[in-house]
Amino acid sequence: MTGATLLFLIIGLGLIAWFFGRLKAAGMQSGGKHSRSALHSLPNYHGWYVALWAILPAAIFLAVWSFASPALITDAALTSPAAAQLPQDAFARAAILSEARAIASGNQVNAFNPLSQSMVEPYRDAITYYQMIGTVAALLLVFACGVYAWLQIKPDLRARTKIERVTMLVLLLASLIAIVTTVGIFLSLVFESVRFFSMVSPIDFLFGTEWNPKAVAGPRGETGFGAIPLFWGTVFIGAIIAMIVAIPLGLMSAIYLTQYAPAKFRSWMKPILEVLAGVPTVVYGYFAALTVAPALRDFAVSIGISNASSESALAAGVVMGIMIIPFVSSMADDSIAAVPSAMRDGSLAMGATQSETIKKVLIPAALPGVVGGVLLAVSRAIGETMIVVMAAGLAANMTANPFSSVTTVTTQIVQLLTGDQEFDSPKTLAAFALGLVLFIVTLLLNLIALRVVKKYREAYE
Amino acid sequence: MNSLTETKRRPTDWQGAEMQKRIAGRYAAERRFKAMGMAAIALSAGFLGFLLVVMVGNGFLGFTQTELPVEIDFPAVTSGASPSQFQGPNAEANLQVMGLREIVNSSIEIQYGPEGTDLFSSGAWTAVSAKILADPDIVEQKTAVNLPVASALDVAYKDEGNPEAEAKVSELSGQFSTGFNWNFLSNSDATDPMQVGIWGAFKGSLITMIVTLMLAFPVGVLAALYLEEYAPKNRLTDLIEVSINNLAAVPSIIFGLLGLAVFLNFFGMPRSGALVGGLTLALMTMPVIVISGRNAVKSVPPSIREAALGIGASPLQVVFHHVLPLALPGILTGTIIGMARALGETAPLLMIGMRAFIATPPSGITDPATVLPVQIFLWSDEVDRGFVEKTSAAIIVLLLFLLIMNALAIYLRNRFETRW
Amino acid sequence: MNYDQKILEPNESVNMTDSATTAMNTESGTPKMTARHVDVFYGDKQAINDVSIDVNMDSVTAFIGPSGCGKSTFLRCMNRMNDTIPIARVTGEIKLEGEDIYASQMDVVQLRARVGMVFQKPNPFPKSIYDNIAYGPRIHGLATGKEELDEIVESSLQRAGLWGEVKDRLDDSGTALSGGQQQRLCIARAIAVDPEVILMDEPCSALDPIATAKIEELIHELRGKYAIVIVTHNMQQAARVSQKTAFFHLGTLVEYGETTDIFTNPREEKTRDYITGRYG
Repeated sequence: MTGATLLFLIIGLGLIAWFFGRLKAAGMQSGGKHSRSALHSLPNYHGWYVALWAILPAAIFLAVWSFASPALITDAALTSPAAAQLPQDAFARAAILSEARAIASGNQVNAFNPLSQSMVEPYRDAITYYQMIGTVAALLLVFACGVYAWLQIKPDLRARTKIERVTMLVLLLASLIAIVTTVGIFLSLVFESVRFFSMVSPIDFLFGTEWNPKAVAGPRGETGFGAIPLFWGTVFIGAIIAMIVAIPLGLMSAIYLTQYAPAKFRSWMKPILEVLAGVPTVVYGYFAALTVAPALRDFAVSIGISNASSESALAAGVVMGIMIIPFVSSMADDSIAAVPSAMRDGSLAMGATQSETIKKVLIPAALPGVVGGVLLAVSRAIGETMIVVMAAGLAANMTANPFSSVTTVTTQIVQLLTGDQEFDSPKTLAAFALGLVLFIVTLLLNLIALRVVKKYREAYE
Repeated sequence: MNSLTETKRRPTDWQGAEMQKRIAGRYAAERRFKAMGMAAIALSAGFLGFLLVVMVGNGFLGFTQTELPVEIDFPAVTSGASPSQFQGPNAEANLQVMGLREIVNSSIEIQYGPEGTDLFSSGAWTAVSAKILADPDIVEQKTAVNLPVASALDVAYKDEGNPEAEAKVSELSGQFSTGFNWNFLSNSDATDPMQVGIWGAFKGSLITMIVTLMLAFPVGVLAALYLEEYAPKNRLTDLIEVSINNLAAVPSIIFGLLGLAVFLNFFGMPRSGALVGGLTLALMTMPVIVISGRNAVKSVPPSIREAALGIGASPLQVVFHHVLPLALPGILTGTIIGMARALGETAPLLMIGMRAFIATPPSGITDPATVLPVQIFLWSDEVDRGFVEKTSAAIIVLLLFLLIMNALAIYLRNRFETRW
Repeated sequence: MNYDQKILEPNESVNMTDSATTAMNTESGTPKMTARHVDVFYGDKQAINDVSIDVNMDSVTAFIGPSGCGKSTFLRCMNRMNDTIPIARVTGEIKLEGEDIYASQMDVVQLRARVGMVFQKPNPFPKSIYDNIAYGPRIHGLATGKEELDEIVESSLQRAGLWGEVKDRLDDSGTALSGGQQQRLCIARAIAVDPEVILMDEPCSALDPIATAKIEELIHELRGKYAIVIVTHNMQQAARVSQKTAFFHLGTLVEYGETTDIFTNPREEKTRDYITGRYG
C-alpha cells in the first residue's frame, strides 16, 4: 500500500469517526434526558473531536515513520546474504545501495551495476516488511485513538474549545512555515557553502579576480574561483546600467502622473506601466537577446566600437531597467504622496512654479522614501536571473565598457548548476556560495531600505 | 526690531525687464520639466508597446505553417484499405500496420522527385494520419492534402531563409498555402521546429500551478489569519513577520537553490517533476498571499468582529464565519496575482532540473515535466531559425494567460471591493 | 548664484525706510485689494456667493464666521491658491492695486509672491531654518548674492521676532522648532519675498495660548508694512488684532466694517447672534 493510499484511507476512517462522534453527541442532545443546554458544544464539534483524534496521531506516526523507515530498511537489507558481496568502500557501497533502492521502489528500471541487481530482492523484501508494519501500526492508531475519543464524548465535554485549540495550533504552524523556509534557505546555503569553502579559501573566493571554474584542476589547490568579476558584472548591470534607465524614467513618470496628469490619464496610464512589472522575466530576456542586443551592437559598431559584443552588458542592463521602471515609479509615487499637501501649498503660496515646488520641496522631502525604493529596486535587479542568463554573456570580464560582455552572479549560478554534474564538485558547490552572497546582500539591502522607508513614513505621521 | 539691515530692503520691481525675463525663464523651465515627465511616460509605455509589437509580430507566424499540396492515391498505394479499418479502437494500430509514413513519402517522391521528402517536415505524415482518423472515407479516394513543409522552407517562405531554401521557394512559388498550425497547440517539444508544440509545457505548467496553489493558498490564508487576528505581540510574531517580508524580497533563484538542496538532495524527491517545481514555487508565492491576505483581513472593520463576539461567538467562529468570507475576495485577488507571478517564473525551475527535453506531456506530479516559461527559455537557445517564431508564439500564449489572470484579479477587486 | 542684478536709484536707496515704503504703497485710503461680486464654485456647489470687499493697507482685516462659511475659501481666492483644486471655479473680479488677478495676463507666480499666505498648520519645509527663509528669495531671484540673501534672512527673521531665538542655529531643520516658532518661521518665510499683502488662514488654531499671543503681537507689529488679512474663528482674537472685520455666513458676506462697530454695535441680526454666541 503506498503512502498516498494509506493517507486517503486514514482520512476516510476519520470521516467515519466524525460521523459516529456526531451521532453520539446528537443522541445525547435529543435523548430528552439531557436538555440542549446540557451539551457544552454542538454535535458537529464532537464529530470533529473524534475525527481529529482518529487522524492526527496516525498522521504524525506516518510522518515519523517515513523518516525512520529508510534507515531500518537499509539495515535489514544489509543483513541479507547478498550484502556480503558489497565492496567495503563506503562511497561505492552507498551508490549501489541507492541504485538498488531506486529499482526496488520502482523509480528506476535497470541497474548499471550488477551488484545492485542482486541487492534489489533483499531491498524489496525489507520495504514490503516495513511498509506492512507501518500500515498496521497506523491503522491500529486510528482505531485506538478514535474509540478513545468516542468514549470521551459526554455532554460536558468541551469539544469546541479543544477543536479551537487544535485549529489555533494549525494556524500557528502555517505561520511558522515562513520561518522554517527562511531558516531552510539560510542553512542549505550555509551548509553547501561551508563544504565549498573547505575546498576553496573564502579569501580567494571573495577577493580573487579570476573566475574560470572550467579550468579547475584537482580536488585541492583549486584556482579560478575568484568572484570579483562576477560581483562587478552584477553591480554594473543591475545597480548601474539598469538604474540609469529606471531611476529617471520611473521618477519622472511618477512625478508626471501624480503632479501633472489629469485624473483620467493617470487612471489609464498607471495600470499600463504596471503591466511592465507583470511581464515574465523570460520574455524580457528573449526580447533583450533577440531585439535589443543586436540593435545595440550594430549601433556600437556604427559609432566605431569594433569589439562590441552581441551579449553586451548594456542590452541586459537596459532591458532590466525597463523591467524595474514600474517598481521605482510606484515607490516614488508612494513617497511623494506621503509628503503632506501643506508642504506643496506652502511652496506654491510663495509663488514657486509647480516644477520648482517639485524639485525643491517635494523631492527633497520625499527623498528618503525614494532612496529606499531605489535600494529595493537594486536588490531586485541584482537578484534577477533570466534577463542576464539570456542576454548577458558568460565571460567574466572586469570592464566598464557597456558594449562588452560581463557576467553576473545569477548567470553563473545557473551555469554551474545546469547540466550533469556531480554534487560534490567545487563547481556545483560554488553556486551555493554565490547564492549565499546574493542572499545576504539582497537581505541587507532590503532591511536597510525598509528601515529608511519606515523612518520616513513615521516622520510624516 | 528696526535694525539697519531691514531698511535697505526696497520693493521688488516685478514689472522690470530683468524680472520679466527671469519669470519667462522660470516658465520655460516649468514647460521643460513637464515635457520631461511626459517623455518619461511615453518612453516607458513605448517600450511596452515595442516589446508587444515585436513579440506579436514574430509570434503570429508561429501559429501558422506553410504547406504544399501532395496528391495521395490511396486505392493505389494501400492495396485496398477500407474505411472501417480506421474506425474504433484499432484505428491507430491499423495505420501503423499500413505503413502510412512510407505511403506518404512515396507519394511525395512521385510528385516532387526523389529529393522531395526533404521539402517536407519530418512529421508531415502525421497530418495525413489525423486526416484519415477524422474522415476514414478518404482512403478509398485519390485526395490532395496540404502537408507542412520543412522548417527551412517555412522560414524562407514567411520571412527570409538561407539562399538554398529561398531558391526552392521561388521555384515552387504559387503552390504554397498557409494553414493554421494545430500541432503547435497539441504537440510537445520536438527537435523539428515544424513539429513542436506547447501542450506538454502547458500541461506541466498546469500541474505545477495546481501543486503550488494547493500548498500556498491554505498555508498563506491560515498564516494571514493568524498574524492579523490572533498573533500575540511577542518576539516569535515579530520573527514571523520579518521572515515573511524578507521571503517576499528574496531573489527567486535562491528558492531554486533551496529546492535543489532540500527537496532534491535531502528528501530525494524526483528530479524535474512538477511536485518539486510546485513546492518551490509555493514557498515563493506563500509570502505574497500572506501579505495580500493580511491587508484583506485588516480591511474588514472591527465592528463586524465586535458584533459577532457580542452575540457569543468564539474568536475562531468570528474569524471563520465572518472575517474570512468578507476578506476572501481580497485574498483571492492577491492569490491570483501571486499565481500569475509563479506562472511566469523560470529561474528557480532551472535549478531543480525542469529544463529537460520533454517530448511527452507529464501525466502526474512526479513525471519529468517542463513549464511554459522554461520551454520559452529552451527554445530561445535553439539555433534553428524556425524556433524564433515558435518562441514568440509561446510567449504570446504565456502573456495571454497572464493577461487573463490579471484581468480576473482586477475584476474580482472591482466586483467585490467594499468600501466600509 | 546667478540672480539678476537690480538697479538701484540713488535717491531710493537713501530714503527707503519702512515708513517710506508704507507711504508709497498705500497712498492711504485707496484699498490694496478689492473684490467685486465674487462667486466660487466647487463643481456644482457654490461656496461663495457675491462677495465684495476692500482690503486696506493700513489695517488688519479679520474674516470671521462659523466653520464652513467660506471665509477660508475666499482667502484662498485672493492669491489664487484655489487654482490647485481642479474643480474650483471663480467668477467676479478681484484686483490687486487695480490689476485683475484672474486676468489672463496676470502671472500667478508673481501674484503669489506679492500676496503671501500663512497656513492653518505651520508647514515649514523639511530644510534648514535658513533655507526655509531663503527659499522664496532664491526662486524669485530677489538677492544678488550670498550677502544680500543673508540680509534678507536676518531681516525677515527679525521682523517675525524669531531672530533672537534661532540666530545660532540657522542650520537646524525648520521642523525641529516648536509649533509657535514654526508658525513664526512661516510668517518670516512669507515676509522674505517682500509681499504687499499677507493672508493668514487661522494661523493660531494649532498653537497654544502663549504662542498665539506672540503671533498676535507680531501681527500688530507687521501692520502698516503689509496689508494683512486674517481668518479666525476666535472672536476675541479678531477683536484684539484687527481694525476691520468681515462676517461671513453660508458663503455670503453678511457685514463688513470697523472691528469696534462690529463687536459693539453690529447692524445685522445674524452678526449679533454670532458674536453673542447664539450659534457658530
